[in-house]
Order: sequence, then C-alpha cells, then structure tokens
Amino acid sequence: MAVMILRAGERDYSVEVTRAGVIVDGAVTEPAPGAVAAADADRRWVFLDGEVYEFQVQRQGRRRSAAHHSSLTAPMPATVIRINVSPGAAVKKGETLLVLEAMKMELPVRAPADGTVATISCRVGDLVQPGVTLAEIDD
Amino acid sequence: MTLRRVLIANRGEIAIRISRACREAGVESVAVYSDADAGAPHTQAADRAIRIGGPAPADSYLNIPAILAAARETHADAIHPGYGFLSERAAFAAACEEAGLVFIGPSADTIERMGSKIGARRLMEAAGVPVVPGMTPDDQSDAGLLAAVKAIGLPALVKASAGGGGKGMRTLRADADAAEMIAAARREAEAAFGDGTLYVERLVEHPRHVEIQVFGDAHGNVVHLFERECSIQRRHQKVIEESPSPALTPAVRARMGEAAVAAARAVDYRNAGTVEFLLEGHGEAARFYFLEMNTRLQVEHPVTEAVTGVDLVRAQLAVAAGAPLPWTQASLAQRGHAIECRVYAEDPASGFLPQAGPLLVYREPAGPGIRVDSGVAEGGDVPVTYDPMLAKLIVYAESRPAAIDRAIAALRRYPVLGIRTNIPFMIRVLDHAAFRAGDVHTGFIDQHLERLTVRPDPPAGVVAAAAAVTAGQAAAQSAAQAVTSARGTADPWDTLAGWGR
Repeated sequence: MAVMILRAGERDYSVEVTRAGVIVDGAVTEPAPGAVAAADADRRWVFLDGEVYEFQVQRQGRRRSAAHHSSLTAPMPATVIRINVSPGAAVKKGETLLVLEAMKMELPVRAPADGTVATISCRVGDLVQPGVTLAEIDD
Repeated sequence: MTLRRVLIANRGEIAIRISRACREAGVESVAVYSDADAGAPHTQAADRAIRIGGPAPADSYLNIPAILAAARETHADAIHPGYGFLSERAAFAAACEEAGLVFIGPSADTIERMGSKIGARRLMEAAGVPVVPGMTPDDQSDAGLLAAVKAIGLPALVKASAGGGGKGMRTLRADADAAEMIAAARREAEAAFGDGTLYVERLVEHPRHVEIQVFGDAHGNVVHLFERECSIQRRHQKVIEESPSPALTPAVRARMGEAAVAAARAVDYRNAGTVEFLLEGHGEAARFYFLEMNTRLQVEHPVTEAVTGVDLVRAQLAVAAGAPLPWTQASLAQRGHAIECRVYAEDPASGFLPQAGPLLVYREPAGPGIRVDSGVAEGGDVPVTYDPMLAKLIVYAESRPAAIDRAIAALRRYPVLGIRTNIPFMIRVLDHAAFRAGDVHTGFIDQHLERLTVRPDPPAGVVAAAAAVTAGQAAAQSAAQAVTSARGTADPWDTLAGWGR
C-alpha cells in the first residue's frame, strides 16, 4: 500500500489507507465523525465543527526547497499592475515587490525575508495564474 | 399603477432575494447575466434571464445601454438595481426614467445630492444632523490633498468621493506614507468608480458604525426602522451586523432615528435607504456623526427584516409603484435580536485575500431562526471578476446571547470546501469575550487579529478523513462514506491522478 504524505501548514503527516483502516503517523485512526472532506488534484480539504483544514499531498521523496531561496507566486488569478523592484535589488522583509489586482482590490506581494531579487518573471499587464512564479528572492 | 415585470440589474444573492419578493408580489422578474454568470443560480431564480455582455463589470453589470436594451427587449416596466454596481449612479436612475422605466429606488436628484460627500455634508449640516470634520479639496493634486490632510490633522481618512463600500479608502497616521497612500486611494477610486476625486476626513478613533434604516414614499411619509450595528469590519467592509446595537440606549436610539428621518426628508427621500453614523463613546453620553447615506437597499437589510418583521424588498416594489408606506412610525417596533454573518471567499490569515476557485462542497445550515441568502451552489465556481461575498447567514433569536449561540452553531454546520472562506474566522469573532460583551468598534478585527486568525493543527481524525477522500470525486461525501468506499477497493490510490510520480 502506498504511504502518502499530507502537509498541513508546516507539518507533514504520514498516512496509509489499508483494509484495517486509516493509519496516521503509525496509529490506526478513525476519520472524525461528522467531518466533510473533498479532494481537488493534490489538495485535500476537511470541514469539522466550523474549522477548515487544508492539506497538500506531497510527492514522495520530495524535500522542501532550501530555506535560503524563495519563490513568490500569485495567490489567485490576478493582473500585475505594478513592479517596484528589478533583479539584483536588495529588499527588506515586508517590502512590496509588486502589486496585483483582483476582485477590484490591490494585492501587494511582499518580500518574505531580507534578500536580493534573483528574478522577476512577470510583466505589468500580465494575467497571472495561482502557483505561477512571479519573482524569486535569494537570502 | 402596478408593476408587472421587473428587470433586476444585479447578480448573486441580492438578485435572488429580489426575484423571490417579485414572485410573492405577483410580479414577473427578469435576471441579467454576464458571460461569467451563464447558468448561475440568480439566472435560474428569475422568470427569465437575458445576457447583457462580457465578464468584466464595465461590459455587463455596469453597462447602462446593455441593461436598458435588455429591459426593452423583455418588456420590463421597472428596474431594481440591488446594491453595488449601478445602484447609486444618478445617471442610471435618470436613464431609466427617460426610458419610461420605474427605477426602484430614490430619484436621480436624490442620489445625486447624497452621492457627493461634500454636498451631502452641507445638506446635513443645514438639516441639523451632526457631521465629522472633513473636506473634498478643490485642488485634487497630491500637494492639494496633503495640504487638506494637514488642515484636518492626523489621523485622517482619505477616500473616494464618488462611492461607498470602503473601496479607495486609506488611513493616514504618519506624514511619511501620506503621498503613497493618496496615490493608491486615487487609483482604487478611479478603478472602482471611474472617478479619482478624493475626500479627506478626521478619523474618529474607536468609533462604532451604527446605521439607521429609513424608508420614504411618494406621499411625503418617511419612517425609520431602527439601527444596525456594523462595527465588525475588515478593510472598511462589513463582516458581521446586528440589531439592536448593544451600544444604544433608548434615548440615543430615538435621537439617531429622528436625525436619520431629518436627513432623508432633506433630500425628499423615496424608497429604502440607510443613513450611516459613527458613534463615539457610550451610554447616554454617546455622540453620533453623519457618515454618509446609502441611497439603496443594503446588503445587511435582512437584519432589520428579522427584528421588525417587515419585508423591505416587497415594500420597495409597492412604494415604487406609488403606494403609500405599509407602516407608520408608531406601528414599527424592534423585537428580539438578529445577527448577519457575511460569508466571504477570502483567507483571513493572509490579509483577507480574496479567493477564487471551485466550490467542491457548499452546504447551508438550516433550522429555526436561520436564514441563508446565497448566490452560489455546490459544484459552481467563484469567479475572480466579482465581489467575493458568497452568502449571508442571518440568525434571529429572542436575545443577543441566544442569537450569538445560534449563529455559532449554524456556522459550525456550514461546510464550504475548495476555497478558503471566513467561516472559521467569524466563529472566533462571535465567540470572543469582547464581542459577547458587546464591546465592539470598527478596529475590533485589527485589534484581535492574531487570535481570530489562528489555524489549529488538524486532529488525527481529520487527517484520516483527508486521506480517505480520493481525488477526482465530483462532489465530496462524508468522511465515513469515503472510508467505506476506500475499504472496498484494492488500492484507492490507483485512482489518484498526478500523485506519486
């Protein structure tokens, strides 16, 4: 049986579905009564008693990207309306690198940490999709 | 006269709400839709639906010629604008009148007079309604606006002169960021309203936002239908509203009601409208200031309907047809307590970022005292093009504590999966000791943000439920069912697309 890794936030859970039941981190675990679950590609969603939990199915053997390099992606389909920095620029944590617009609102994309802009891979006016890399920052 | 066919120039939950009122009143309804909304729930709620243009609001829901053409083609005799979109455009109300259509709302002249923040303030001052210090500088350059900010004093608000709803609004606390904030506010104002004119106002610290529902008819009658407390806001947009306000004493409530009626009379107000006030301080010493008048039906109108027992939309239809108000001031009373929770497709933990995507699961709660006005359905998509509000949960109970308990219990039975929503966030707001104590102000969410946006780790039973549901299922099922089916197959992960490679 395949073991699957589910990531929620910063934590990974090892899960296996067997004929004996679901094994979570080595322990047979009953799915919570009343939970409502849904799947979409490699995402899993569970609603229980007013809380929503979101999981990402991790491919086996895949490690987190190195901590000193981060890619910034669009959180939703949006239009790039401004780019404030160029490759090579030094940026401070929280600095606005570029601004997206969606649903009639401006959405600033900020630097997650101090670093240097490695690449900018979008242009003003681009319609960008979620998950697509907009810029990369090296620490 | 009687109305026979109403075209609803809107989308989503409010279009459905208006269709229902039309049906009960024996009036036919016509829905309009953009290409992004073909087959959407609001198109099915009306007696017929007609396409008006492309997905962009400017091509469809803001396209006056296309909407008037749709009204002609469907032989509508009246137009209900809902809220947002064209509802507060005087030019639209005027165009309807010129086309021989009844505009279900105030006259173009009234919208015009209340639409300009400066004009409205002057009118209110003249009518004896208290206002907050502020101005729209004639010189709209950055330098002119900075001078206005200096004259008013910090903290100050800069906002679009043309519209409400918090779009194009910025708070200035330090001189250093004023220029950038002004530029951003102007851009948003231009994008949202096609008019970048900005208004500068003194910021009243820790105010409550309390508004009064008013209603006028064509025979000179104006009444108020008490208050709605709308202090729970994020990005200057309302999230939770209630009536009565826990802050108002009977005397202050009466004074605010009188001021709201005076405000409405000053502009010959006809049909449903709302006078928004900032409330400062507590008890009998509380002071209120006119903020603005929304010359339309409000998103949160069901709160008033719950506590007064009236149907505001049916009254809108009747008054638009020339009938006198169905109530007198003396016949109106507040009873019990109502709370509205706006369900937004957004992620509170990421600065309330709007979310777009599929509604894999969408199931509304039901029960005594629970009303859900929604514009979406399970299996649908939340498009990026429009406002992220999916639905409104309105609960009614005999007391405020009972209404809070009912709202929390309903939200705990309101699964929405596939995109993030603010449902878990709203449960935390409602259950917060300060909210339960009625100690709310417009900065409540920012003040308690960290606690309101925690993301708890999943219990093991939730992880098991996540594992038990397989990808590609058209609709979600309960975890228990999913596990049953998982046990029946040799290896459920065989069906997992895109995983393990």
